[in-house]
Amino acid sequence: MSIRMNRRTLLASAAGGVLALPFTSRGRAVAQAAKTVVLGGSIPLTGAAAETGMNVFAGYKTLVKFINEELKGFDVGGERVTFELNMIDDASEAQRATTLIQRQIDEGIEFFLGSFSSQIVLPTAAITERAGKVMVQTGGGSDQIFSQGFQSVFGMYPRASRSVYPAVDAFLSMDPKPQSAVVIYTNDPFSRLQADGVTAYIKEQGMNLLETYSLPAEVTDVSGVLASIRELKPDVALCVTHDQNSQLITAQMAATNTNVKGLFQVLGPATENYRKSLGNKADDIFAVTSWSEDMKYGDDIVGTAKDFANYYRKVETRPLVFHVVNGAQCIMIYMRAMQAAGSLEPMAVRDAIKGLDIMTFGGPIQFMPEGDGHPVKMGLKIAQVQKGELKVVFPKEVAAASAIWPMTPWDAR
Amino acid sequence: MHVFLQTLLDGLMLGGLYALAASGFSLIFGVMGILNLAHGAFLVLGAYVGLQISQSLSIEPILTLPAVVVVLFAAGALFQRYLVQLTVDRGGLVASLLVTFGVSLIIHDLLAHFYGPGSRTIVSSYAYSRIEFGGLVIGLSRLVPLVVSIVLILALHFMLARSRLGREMRAASQQIVAARLCGINVRRVFALTFGIASAYAGVAGVLVGTVLPFSPNSETYWTISAFVVVVLGGAKSPAGTLLGGLLLGILNTMTAQFISPLFTSTVMFLVLVLMLLVRPQGILGHAAGATR
Repeated sequence: MSIRMNRRTLLASAAGGVLALPFTSRGRAVAQAAKTVVLGGSIPLTGAAAETGMNVFAGYKTLVKFINEELKGFDVGGERVTFELNMIDDASEAQRATTLIQRQIDEGIEFFLGSFSSQIVLPTAAITERAGKVMVQTGGGSDQIFSQGFQSVFGMYPRASRSVYPAVDAFLSMDPKPQSAVVIYTNDPFSRLQADGVTAYIKEQGMNLLETYSLPAEVTDVSGVLASIRELKPDVALCVTHDQNSQLITAQMAATNTNVKGLFQVLGPATENYRKSLGNKADDIFAVTSWSEDMKYGDDIVGTAKDFANYYRKVETRPLVFHVVNGAQCIMIYMRAMQAAGSLEPMAVRDAIKGLDIMTFGGPIQFMPEGDGHPVKMGLKIAQVQKGELKVVFPKEVAAASAIWPMTPWDAR
Repeated sequence: MHVFLQTLLDGLMLGGLYALAASGFSLIFGVMGILNLAHGAFLVLGAYVGLQISQSLSIEPILTLPAVVVVLFAAGALFQRYLVQLTVDRGGLVASLLVTFGVSLIIHDLLAHFYGPGSRTIVSSYAYSRIEFGGLVIGLSRLVPLVVSIVLILALHFMLARSRLGREMRAASQQIVAARLCGINVRRVFALTFGIASAYAGVAGVLVGTVLPFSPNSETYWTISAFVVVVLGGAKSPAGTLLGGLLLGILNTMTAQFISPLFTSTVMFLVLVLMLLVRPQGILGHAAGATR
């Protein structure tokens, strides 16, 4: 009895095996042909930078999924290549991030993606650089990252001190042209760099800089700053502040009827939480973005900006913001550089990245010799919240809408 | 003069929030001698409970307060009964520091998991309304918390001074053994104290949420500010907490206005150090040694 059953089992297994053979062998053939390149790195999925970290991570995941599942990989020197992500939560802490990166280097990972925040990217980039590995990141724009002679670290943004220039340019393109400005900034290394850069640029452009206000990272009240603004009556206010502080500034400006012709905030308006919490008080506020799905960008791999947006919404649930797109572009950069190099050798890929001058669904890609993004091609675009949505309004060539200028007074909303 | 008066008013409004946020912390410290490092986490938890109810039922945030009180009271009482008390029994008051700190981390992580790490705001219908007189502006969203703070702190004061539970709390805070000999169920009193303190933290959380953006990370700030308020005003005294809160608010806005917003924490801690050196029991507090 038991022998008969064993035979039956054996026969059934053999039959199953024969039937499954074409599939398993084909699967194995694909698996054997496709070489998997591991992209390592840390990312803040918890802690202070988690909100944006999760957006960047969503971008990484989306394009890896697209390349692996929709394209079934890509050819590098006659070999089929797919990507595998090995990203670990660094809890928004530089110390934890450096430990994780060192461990990944010891495990033999050659290509790295970035965390979010210059304070994390800078020390981790120093480690990958020293180890002769490549890093493409969209989380650090601090000047320090690009002024240390790193050869294998590439950033998706122009360096911090120049990154807010487009906001000033946008305001100067308005009619009537604003004459005076104040700058409010969070006193952390990155925001301060941005603020120092933009205050110098404001003066350079002939605008009257009335005051600069420095805020600590945790603020519970900005009524003093706003009282001063009501006295000074500047045409525009530029806030180089974090999400939470930007939200507080807007809410208190609205509550105290502190009006300016233009309010610009580096962080805040791009997040859905900000726009949802403030409702129509978020309207007309200027913000930075590097991307909008209405932009006429595209490539022959993913398609247009709209195609990317549609695919993203199919596979991810987080809101589509520009950090997502920048994250996805980091993966695209690796893919295009590996194809151009025809090799997976890190230094060959590094050199190919240096030579990239391409258009993608997320916009043009070209790096400066120091590794930062080309200030014009990869410079931030200025968007404005219009009826709850971010619309690119500057530069005019890529604008999806005309700017509302001056912004609607708070009481008229 | 106008700027000074406006800054003073802004300070009072902000101070109302600080006072209410610290009242639960002060009550626990005054009655049980425990520095509840989870206080800020309970406050933020209250904000999220208020946000959840307000959004789910589409009601005014202030109407969520009864539900928030019930939830936070239960959470606080259970926390004390089944965790803090057991720890204190076995490891003394110092062990309670570790437990409350650990619980604050757990609450933080759970909130970040369920609600995400980003900042939220509880939107009220009066969020952008204001009263103006003589060129001075008072935002209604800041005036309401001040009024609620004063009412609730007065209620706490009368409860401690006049009610049976208040007398039991005061007795337990002075001499546990003597209180037990008088027939007071000290464990029950301590659990109720923690429950009431947590409910106050929850109410403060909802009101903070209508004024300021909050996130799971905000808990640290509110624990520290509660500590400063208690040092300024004095433990075991609701009036001291109110005074400490208002002083801290005024100190904060005056520093921001006349020195720099950057130095608000510096000045706050400078005053804290001075108070500890000159009058460690706080302005309206009892001598430090007598709080237990």
